[in-house]
Amino acid sequence: MTRGLLAEFINWTWVRENFANTPPGTPSIVSATIQHIELALIAVVVGTAISLPLGIWAYRRHAVYVPVTVVSGLLYTVPSLALFVLLIPITGLSVWTVEIGLVSYTLLILIRNVVAGLASVPADVKDAARGMGMTKRQLLWRVELPLALPVIVAGVRVATVSSIALVTVGAVIGFGGLGYFILDGLNRYFFKTEILVGIVLSVILALLADAIVVWTQRLLMPWSRRDRRKQQAARIPDVARETA
Amino acid sequence: MGPMATTMISLRNVTKQFPNASAPAVGGLSLDVGEGETLVLVGPSGCGKTTALRMINRLIEPTSGTIEISGRDTRAIDVVELRRGIGYVIQSVGLLPHRTVGDNIGTVPRLLGWEPSSVEERTHELTELLDLHEELLARYPSELSGGQRQRVGVARALAADPPIMLMDEPFAAVDPIVRARLQEQFLDIQARLRKTIVFVTHDVDEAIIMADRIAILNVGGVLEQLASPEEILKSPANDFVRRFVGSERTLKRLSLILVEDLQLDPPGAAGADGAVVDPRATVREALDAILAAGATAIRVVDDTGTDRGVLTLDHISREVAR
Repeated sequence: MTRGLLAEFINWTWVRENFANTPPGTPSIVSATIQHIELALIAVVVGTAISLPLGIWAYRRHAVYVPVTVVSGLLYTVPSLALFVLLIPITGLSVWTVEIGLVSYTLLILIRNVVAGLASVPADVKDAARGMGMTKRQLLWRVELPLALPVIVAGVRVATVSSIALVTVGAVIGFGGLGYFILDGLNRYFFKTEILVGIVLSVILALLADAIVVWTQRLLMPWSRRDRRKQQAARIPDVARETA
Repeated sequence: MGPMATTMISLRNVTKQFPNASAPAVGGLSLDVGEGETLVLVGPSGCGKTTALRMINRLIEPTSGTIEISGRDTRAIDVVELRRGIGYVIQSVGLLPHRTVGDNIGTVPRLLGWEPSSVEERTHELTELLDLHEELLARYPSELSGGQRQRVGVARALAADPPIMLMDEPFAAVDPIVRARLQEQFLDIQARLRKTIVFVTHDVDEAIIMADRIAILNVGGVLEQLASPEEILKSPANDFVRRFVGSERTLKRLSLILVEDLQLDPPGAAGADGAVVDPRATVREALDAILAAGATAIRVVDDTGTDRGVLTLDHISREVAR
């Protein structure tokens, strides 16, 4: 029985008691989830806001590309716990420490994907657009960015999922969303219910966020949806011919 | 270009030296394109024909020399404004894959700030002109056939009614049957619109069909001959042109002449058996019909059934000798 198996790991009374209303100083499941979403969302939004112009700049000037990827690459290799510790002397035990760390980790993925996305725009499309008299800015906004979108969004997906996972580490500084339950559960001699709540909800958040990003992309790019439909339609007669 | 035509595009001693290239892509090219003329640049790969074309709308800046449009140095014209006034068609078409066909056709009018209603009206005009289905307007380029894509590319280039069109191998990417149809349709449209066209191809047969005048370029953008298709076929300037034009020069020339342009024997003259040819057919087609019938002459009968005369092999060989 699943119910029986779960009962061994999950203390439902604890879940009920900590669901929404908790004494001051102790986060509830709801408030920790909201904080988790906020921390990850801000990281991805700020990361994208930084990466987009930097990526465009790096794409246009090759001299910029190398230093930008080296710096963001170095940031990426620093272990997250170490990065938070390094930031504490500067930003203290504040939300800034966590947020700066989270944003740093999104940069490498996002900048690389912005550059790769822009590089993937077909040369003939750009040539025709320039030949029709688009300015540099019109070319960027009307042609290059829309066509780079699939690759950029792929980067946003990875950044979103990894940020949601990484937020939990912030619990050591006191801003870790659902990470609080994982840390607290460990401190309570491995209290399984609390740890599982932290882990399972983080994973669910990551899956939901990924689905939302994919769904938004489909909404933004009607042309690629039609591509797929056409490909499917094109496949049907092939099958018919083979079986005939 | 006839002596009366005004010069629309003028290249004066234009050279393009790409960095890191040992020789210039185009070396000191000078030529004039008359208003309403179709000038075809043709030559082997590496002859700089595409470079020459792209210097006209400044997608490539010349290293030296001047290019004038209607007497104005193109360097004195804002590059964006210059390009919006020139239709541009390339081999791979380069339609915006994220815009519908209708949006693609309306690109330049929208850049020029036309009213949405005028853009839409113009789009429908062009749909009709290029024989595209209205229902295609809502589709995306990936949903079109190769031939449809090329026609949308031409429609898009014509959208703002530019006096000049630059066309870089516009029909090279489609199969021969579709290409022939596109060429025919294009000639039909050009007969009505009289645009000034610079057309690049590597295919001498296409050049012969499309051109008012052909410029034959050699490697390094060297102009070997600039003349009408008839002139080039009849008297190639040198061995390079002779080789490039190919071995069927005479037959190709006959395909440029119509039966009705020749002096015929009166109806009823001897030699013509059952075979019949239309006066609007080419002499090459007539020759083929004569040979197929095993005869020495053919009756020329127009579509009203009127006997127009008899075309003999003698007429044809006299025409060839001219």
